[in-house]
Amino acid sequence: MPAHPGPDLPLLARAPGAVLFRRPHGGVTTGNTTTGGFLAAATRLAATLAATAPGPVLNLCADRAQIAIGLAGALLAGRVSLFTGDRSPSWLTALAERHPGLTALTDTDHDATLASLDLPSLTLPPVPDTATSAAPIPTIPADRLAAIVFTSGSTGEPVGHRKSWGELVARSVDAARRFRLIAAQPASVVGTVPGQHMYGLETTILLPLHAPAASWCGPAFYPVDIAAALAACPAPRVLVTTPLQLRALLAAEVALPPVARVISATAPLDPAVAAAAEARWQTEIWEIFGATEVGSIASRRTTAGPDWRTYPRVRLTPHETANRTANQVPSQPGLFVLVHAPGAAPFPLNDRIDLADPTSFRLIGRHGDLVKLGGRRASLAGLTSILNDIDGVEDGIFLAPEDSETRPTARMLAFAVAPGLSAERILAELRARIDPVFLPRRVVRIPRLPRDRLGKLPARALAELRAQAGGQEPA
Amino acid sequence: MSARSATSALDVARLIIASLNLDLAPEAIAPDAPLFGEGLGLDSIDALELALAISREYGLELRSDDARNRQVFASLQSLTDYIDETRTK
Repeated sequence: MPAHPGPDLPLLARAPGAVLFRRPHGGVTTGNTTTGGFLAAATRLAATLAATAPGPVLNLCADRAQIAIGLAGALLAGRVSLFTGDRSPSWLTALAERHPGLTALTDTDHDATLASLDLPSLTLPPVPDTATSAAPIPTIPADRLAAIVFTSGSTGEPVGHRKSWGELVARSVDAARRFRLIAAQPASVVGTVPGQHMYGLETTILLPLHAPAASWCGPAFYPVDIAAALAACPAPRVLVTTPLQLRALLAAEVALPPVARVISATAPLDPAVAAAAEARWQTEIWEIFGATEVGSIASRRTTAGPDWRTYPRVRLTPHETANRTANQVPSQPGLFVLVHAPGAAPFPLNDRIDLADPTSFRLIGRHGDLVKLGGRRASLAGLTSILNDIDGVEDGIFLAPEDSETRPTARMLAFAVAPGLSAERILAELRARIDPVFLPRRVVRIPRLPRDRLGKLPARALAELRAQAGGQEPA
Repeated sequence: MSARSATSALDVARLIIASLNLDLAPEAIAPDAPLFGEGLGLDSIDALELALAISREYGLELRSDDARNRQVFASLQSLTDYIDETRTK
């Protein structure tokens, strides 16, 4: 136990009867989840968890209200929640081995992934829509480890980032302030991003607990879903999405009800797309800057220019040691920085930035080895080594799409020297080992890689290889 | 009664290949092989692209609360059948 425990923070800071999660009515679905119903469900789960092995809770729920109830129930039972977007059986098995006493939590009777695994699991009952709780809102120590959120398993090894309850609450409160969510007019949040991804967790699971917002639990993936979800929610509406889905929504030309604000993250948004969306829907498009390591830390209105402004209470300072090392390589612009955010230890940012002042910056670009697709990061060297680890692959390389920053559907390209293997076989092997978003659109089999006498692959040779493979895909 | 002819699986295969830029001949997509996961290896990003192409070509909107959604995307044949039933152009 820490010598000076931090303050206690409420599990949720919403009025009794406030709607936290909204879902489609009718049919077999239940209604909205209010503060009372949420507390009753979380308390019930905590009691159930008390009878399980005292390990962490692997939160695999699909429904956003259930994801939140899972987190809250685990907190009340003194358990840590694990959030991972990677559902591959091998990764879930590895997690269970590393976390003795782990309990998998689902909200569907037939979870195909879980059924194939031998994990102790618990299935949440449907969310009560009328239950109320007269009990006072419980508090949780701010310094309690609440969750471990994993980055994507792009290179075979997702990395877990530890989040204290204080850090999670602080970021929700700051986001609410930045996006001017006010109690007099609670916002309807429709999220198209998975709740187990850090961005989705912050905006669609945690936000409703500490800010005047109700998160949509129905489907919101295809353009028609998103339009129907927005129409089913009262104004003011906030759409939380990605550049990919924004582009699809624009192209689909479906009619949307008035949307107060659109929030985009996971990849840079093309300012032209932002401008088109603002004109079409008479709204404001904001981008959030963040990473699983630190969560959301800054925002900008895309059409207003390239400058990011940090969230209230988030400050950036130069990372002196990293910059000293980096300065040994000439012509590297920008700075490495440390992120200072409430409830979290100072964290070094992966991106080099131009720092105007501690609250304002511009991005310079990512490291050459880092590729980001569909909101997930991977190391090119890591992907290449996975390819080369396949039995029968003598040599091989992954190439990143050249336009991944502007074209969300861009995909990796892989070249392999593998005389005894078909391209399909290599792809099947890769599928078992890497995040689907980094699977190459195709594996090009070639007699040999154009290595020079030093064994390196010169940029020009790689460009030729790329051109031979068919060059750029159409946008 | 609609005057148009039945939707052809080969046409749908061509649409899949064109919209996702796959390096395949339309005949190479087996009518009953899974489109996602193990079979053709498509993922959710592809589903979004494909939905857009289908809506442009056939005037029908895919939605994820359709209970049949998983079944619709199960194979080229099931997708073709679904398009044939619900297309508006």
